[in-house]
Amino acid sequence: MQFNEVRVFFTKTGMAKYISHLDLMRCMTRALRRAQIPLWYTEGYNPHLFMTFARPLPLGVESLCESMDIRLVGEMTFREIKTRLNDALPRDITVVSVAKPAHKPTEIAFADYEIQLYTDDPAALLQAMETRFAADTLPVLKKAKQGKRRVEKETDIKLNILTFALAQQDDGVTLTVRVTAGDQNNVSPALLLDALTANAPVAVKHTDILKRRVLLENGEAFC
Amino acid sequence: MRKEWEYLLDGVQKPARYTGGELGSAMKDKAQIKVRYAFCFPDSYEIGMSHLGMKILYGLVNERKDAWCERVFAPWVDMEEKMRANGVPLYALESGDPISEFDLIGFTLQYELSYSNVLNMLDLAGVPLRSRDRTALTPLVIGGGPCACNPEPLADFFDIFLPGEGEEVTNELIDLLIAHKEKGSTKLEFLRDAAKIEGVYVPAFYDVSYHTDGTLQAVTPKETAPTKVKKRVIADLDSVYFPKQFVVPFVDVVHDRAVAEVFRGCIRGCRFCQAGFIYRPIREKSSDTVNRQAKALCDSTGYDEISLCSLSTSDYSEVETLLPQLLSWAPDEKINVSLPSLRVDNFSESLMEELKKVRKSGLTFAPEAGTQRLRDAINKNVTEEEVLSTAAQAFRGGWTSVKLYFMMGLPTETLEDVAGIAELAQKVVNEFYHNPDKPKGKGVTVSVSVASFVPKPFTPFQWEPQDTMEQLAEKQKYLMENVHSGKIRVSWHQPHTSFLEGVFARGDRKLCDVLEEAWKRGCKFDGWDEFFRFDAWMQAFEACGVDPAFYANRRRDFSELLPWEHLDYGIRRAFLAEENRKAHESVTSPNCRQKCSACGAARLNGGHCDAIQ
Ligand code: SF4
Repeated sequence: MQFNEVRVFFTKTGMAKYISHLDLMRCMTRALRRAQIPLWYTEGYNPHLFMTFARPLPLGVESLCESMDIRLVGEMTFREIKTRLNDALPRDITVVSVAKPAHKPTEIAFADYEIQLYTDDPAALLQAMETRFAADTLPVLKKAKQGKRRVEKETDIKLNILTFALAQQDDGVTLTVRVTAGDQNNVSPALLLDALTANAPVAVKHTDILKRRVLLENGEAFC
Repeated sequence: MRKEWEYLLDGVQKPARYTGGELGSAMKDKAQIKVRYAFCFPDSYEIGMSHLGMKILYGLVNERKDAWCERVFAPWVDMEEKMRANGVPLYALESGDPISEFDLIGFTLQYELSYSNVLNMLDLAGVPLRSRDRTALTPLVIGGGPCACNPEPLADFFDIFLPGEGEEVTNELIDLLIAHKEKGSTKLEFLRDAAKIEGVYVPAFYDVSYHTDGTLQAVTPKETAPTKVKKRVIADLDSVYFPKQFVVPFVDVVHDRAVAEVFRGCIRGCRFCQAGFIYRPIREKSSDTVNRQAKALCDSTGYDEISLCSLSTSDYSEVETLLPQLLSWAPDEKINVSLPSLRVDNFSESLMEELKKVRKSGLTFAPEAGTQRLRDAINKNVTEEEVLSTAAQAFRGGWTSVKLYFMMGLPTETLEDVAGIAELAQKVVNEFYHNPDKPKGKGVTVSVSVASFVPKPFTPFQWEPQDTMEQLAEKQKYLMENVHSGKIRVSWHQPHTSFLEGVFARGDRKLCDVLEEAWKRGCKFDGWDEFFRFDAWMQAFEACGVDPAFYANRRRDFSELLPWEHLDYGIRRAFLAEENRKAHESVTSPNCRQKCSACGAARLNGGHCDAIQ
């Protein structure tokens, strides 16, 4: 079967951050079906849509830079795919562009995040995070699997943070950060916050985490 | 703008149950809305979102420009805990607004074991539990669904019940409420007018008195209430509203697929089955309508499965026309057609052929009882030969697992009938090994699922005592002693939950206090084994001085006034009594297509019943 690989870039914002990766896949499958895009189905007794995602977005994180690859078996312009999909998608998931894939998802090297941390004492939180970052190492307990056992390993993520900026707000602190996001060295926002807010004298009430972009090794946008 | 409750979702299980925003959910401009309707399903999101009735009424109300219907489910315990700790009241999924601000709070009453959740949801919403403590016109608490055929155990908590089918009466009620809101009426003024609508039951307009032995003496209407409230019946299913779009959930729900309704009512007249009586008379949709509605739903939802819904799909008179119609487009669009509630006795060869094209899910039979004598008594007109020959046919078709449904504790049941369950299952196993071309290297599994029988209102068994928990335990033990094959797997429901279900199914208003007391003692999600607290329930009965066995295990005299007899479901009492008498003589009745037994239900539908030829 002949098919064309197509990459769909989309945002997942607002309440959609609470949709798990598994649920997102189901949601996308249905949207693609509703949109009546001519798609390639796997062969076999129970055929299903071919669809792959760059990297599962953790639950609770909003993103402006999600992507999934699908396979077309008929003609349809990228513009048409985008329009049809947006008509078929729920409120908080929106297609921003459709293109021919240029890079493999495994070539993703970095990710940019913007994180709001809400607290009663922004100055104290800012100070604590700055102190953590200023040290030579930034150790954090990372959950890992050793064979079948779940273990916690201390890792230093200092070198995984490429750019780092903090700003104090009325109700908290804004953190703008670029971290490694490759297959081997991905730093999740949760891990990053664990590392930075350890020893903080004030509680973080809640956070808004936004994934802004994903980049290649050379600093260009993943596309 | 973020709502204050949004951050509660960090760290709860499956947060997408609480976000709204699913495809197909209705968003409206509050400024244009005259009536806001919170449609509550008193169980988890996954169960509620699987329910067809809710989808129908949700779509129906949202067709209106002046009303907005939103969905509300019982938050799971982790979410409820966070909501209570942070002072967040129960909110509706679409707008995120607290339901205490709504005009109508409607509960669908699908099973008795969800009643404690009704109270818990009202409390979580900050709405006073008892009707008399809600003095303003709105919010009005209303209830419908199958349990509205005996809503007496909930009578003190609800302002209105809607027995019967909701499509027409819901709109009439909304119209009336809009008029009264504009006039600035009091709640009493509104209820007086509402009680005049056919199919509207205002429990506060009936005085109930009891004899000294606890049985009912009289139910006396007052104000504008009729002596008997007739349930509503939709006359024409081809023209009644059916949704073109479902809300498509993000999380995996129990029934996550498109559903096309095929007919209402059931021609079988199994004497234990409440649904078979309360949804009468029989009304069918034409196969063209079903096909069109199925196609529209698949297109709008993107579902890859369509299921036909009715009490007994193979009894649909146009089933052999409908299946080829559906199969003319569904497979091309990679859509599976699934047919639940198929019966064994009219499983024709040609239907079997069509079925081979649809998904090979497990095959289920419901003989319900182990011996022919008991099957005759309950009017389950299935013979052992039919079960075995259909099983053989299915095994030849490649099936290797069969599920058999039975009930225990049926009226007139003896230990011989119980042993019959094991014997029938064994014969099905043998049938598999008799098949000369059975698949090599594959064994057979016969799953036997045994439910405890619960007598229900508006059935011929409404007068019967329910087996006690001790009797049921004994029968279960006896059944297991009679199962001799590893190929047979037996499972059953907890007799404790069936007991409570039985108490509330045929309960009266004295149970309102018990329900509130049990809820205060922490009872909720009673349908979930991990939350069901039988001890707390028993303490609640004791604290209120109410004996549960009076409701569950007592034989009623035919002369006794039953708590639901001021509701008119069409079915004649004399017909039910006659069916009861025949049950005790193990005499069957013909199904409705063979011969109309003049049950009375057609009276509510201008004399029409689609089963009468
Ligand atoms: S009216 Fe007759 S045919 Fe119709 S449901 Fe009643 S008994 Fe059956």
